[in-house]
Amino acid sequence: MKKKVLGIVLKLMLVLLGTFIATFTIYFFNLENKLIYYVVRPFLNKHYDSQRRDRRIV
Amino acid sequence: MKNPITAFIDKKMQRFDPIWRAENGKGGQRSRYYDKTGIAKYREWRGTKDTFYDYLAWLNNLKSMGLMVASAPLPVLKGMWEYRWMGSYLGTFAFIDRLFEGFRGPELRIAHMNMHAIVQSLTKKIALVLSNDKRLGGGPLSDRMVPMDEVLPPLFMCGFPNLIPIPLQTLPEFIICDIDQQLEPFYIDVAESFGLAADVCSRCSAETGVTFNDDFPIIGKALLSTNMPCNASEATSMFQRRRIGLPDFPVTLAMIHNEPGAHPYSTQILRDAIKFIEDEYGEVYDWDALFARARQMNEQNEIELEKWDIFKTPHSALCGIAETLYRLYSWASVNGQEDYFTKNDRKVIKIMRRCYEKRYMPFGGKTRHRAFLWGPSAVYYTDFPTWIQNCWGVSIVLNMDSTMGHNMINTEDPEEAIKDLALFSEKAVMRHHAVGGWDNVNAVWDWAKNFDCDMVLMNDNVACKGMNGVHAMMEEQARDLGFYFIFVEHDLEDCRTVSRRDMRNIVNNYMSVVVGEEPLDPTLLDFDDSEAW
Repeated sequence: MKKKVLGIVLKLMLVLLGTFIATFTIYFFNLENKLIYYVVRPFLNKHYDSQRRDRRIV
Repeated sequence: MKNPITAFIDKKMQRFDPIWRAENGKGGQRSRYYDKTGIAKYREWRGTKDTFYDYLAWLNNLKSMGLMVASAPLPVLKGMWEYRWMGSYLGTFAFIDRLFEGFRGPELRIAHMNMHAIVQSLTKKIALVLSNDKRLGGGPLSDRMVPMDEVLPPLFMCGFPNLIPIPLQTLPEFIICDIDQQLEPFYIDVAESFGLAADVCSRCSAETGVTFNDDFPIIGKALLSTNMPCNASEATSMFQRRRIGLPDFPVTLAMIHNEPGAHPYSTQILRDAIKFIEDEYGEVYDWDALFARARQMNEQNEIELEKWDIFKTPHSALCGIAETLYRLYSWASVNGQEDYFTKNDRKVIKIMRRCYEKRYMPFGGKTRHRAFLWGPSAVYYTDFPTWIQNCWGVSIVLNMDSTMGHNMINTEDPEEAIKDLALFSEKAVMRHHAVGGWDNVNAVWDWAKNFDCDMVLMNDNVACKGMNGVHAMMEEQARDLGFYFIFVEHDLEDCRTVSRRDMRNIVNNYMSVVVGEEPLDPTLLDFDDSEAW
């Protein structure tokens, strides 16, 4: 029983460590902003530029 | 005494610390950016403890954005696909990084507490509005929402507890222009493509562009518009009410509101606006509901006044953009409606008191000048207060946005409460600042003196006819009163007319030629960020 609990705690700690390493890497190397700036926004801007709008003054 | 483990990590990581690099002649803040883009190669190392705090704040903001998507996945995706301005919100993380460059210790903690208050509020508001936007299919709360002009403080609407006041321009224009400088030129061009004047306030022009491009969410049964408190010549309120097509009531508060005779007029207008909402929405005004929210606003204002006392000393851990952007959002958009802000204020003032008792010196004691700033949006998208602190050691003690209505609202007598609300509403965004009468502008000298400032920075919107008229007089007065005084030209939300770089160079020239000082971080002196958000 004690061994089982220890195993779960160890696994949980490994998952937390893995999550921390992954998110801290994204954070520190600014990866989310690089992705948004170089990939997501150009894609979205292309879409926005192709939208047809009913532009009227009233 | 420093922990030996963190000291070891800090030593190993110091090449990622821009302050250390600037102090040791090995670069500085701009060394970590890709040219022109405003995208950093890596986030700054602020020391182990502060970097970890910054990381947790980043996670916390990420959580709020995740919750926003999880609470309304389809409307948020539809909104992202439909509205150009929604795409710009993806720049929020970069915006927060820019704003708090060089922040350490208590100033970093307070800055993130304030910023998270904005992020958690804004993300909820975006989810709420998109879920009920009739353009995207509507929702159960669509007809309980009351779209109102963002320059009207929504506190008086709290007397309708079954209704949800939504400052209409805040999401598609007012807040987002601070996050992405590339957005509003698109909307300005839409407005100008109809032959509308190109020399008006670019904020009004951008709002008109949002209107013509059908980029305002459609919510509610009736609209509260207002007399635009600045540069009304472009008539954006008129275009908005025509295009949105809902029954509307223009809440035309007195412009020259320092005249005692103006208050009864503004009070009556508020009464009429309440009557209009009662008729259109079939609701009865509940004064007790108003009093409950007014108590929150009063407490926030009491704390704000205590903050001002600490601002008058060199020991305030709250300053610059963390102070002014928070006050702008919490006053103009939240306006007593969310308890989170009162709780946040209570926590922040505790940290500020502690810092004052310890005679803490923010920014490593490198501040050389204390400045009072008179500046609108161009202050935010340029992260101007942060830049001027890091580059020249000028602390922005207080900005004009923080001087909005701070009178207390009576919470027992409806007759007195409505008068207090009128005075409070007259002292709102821009109404109090640019066109509320010469006294309000001239008051910059009193503000600067009261807050022990040796410098006044005045943002000069090149398209604002009201402020153009005072330029020379302000220059003369600054000379007479002995303040360092810089007029920073800008075109508000149109970064093509006056770029961020141009704005910075105005300060650079003054600081090097007139004041005769050297920059703290030479990499911040002149750089190109024209392609940045």
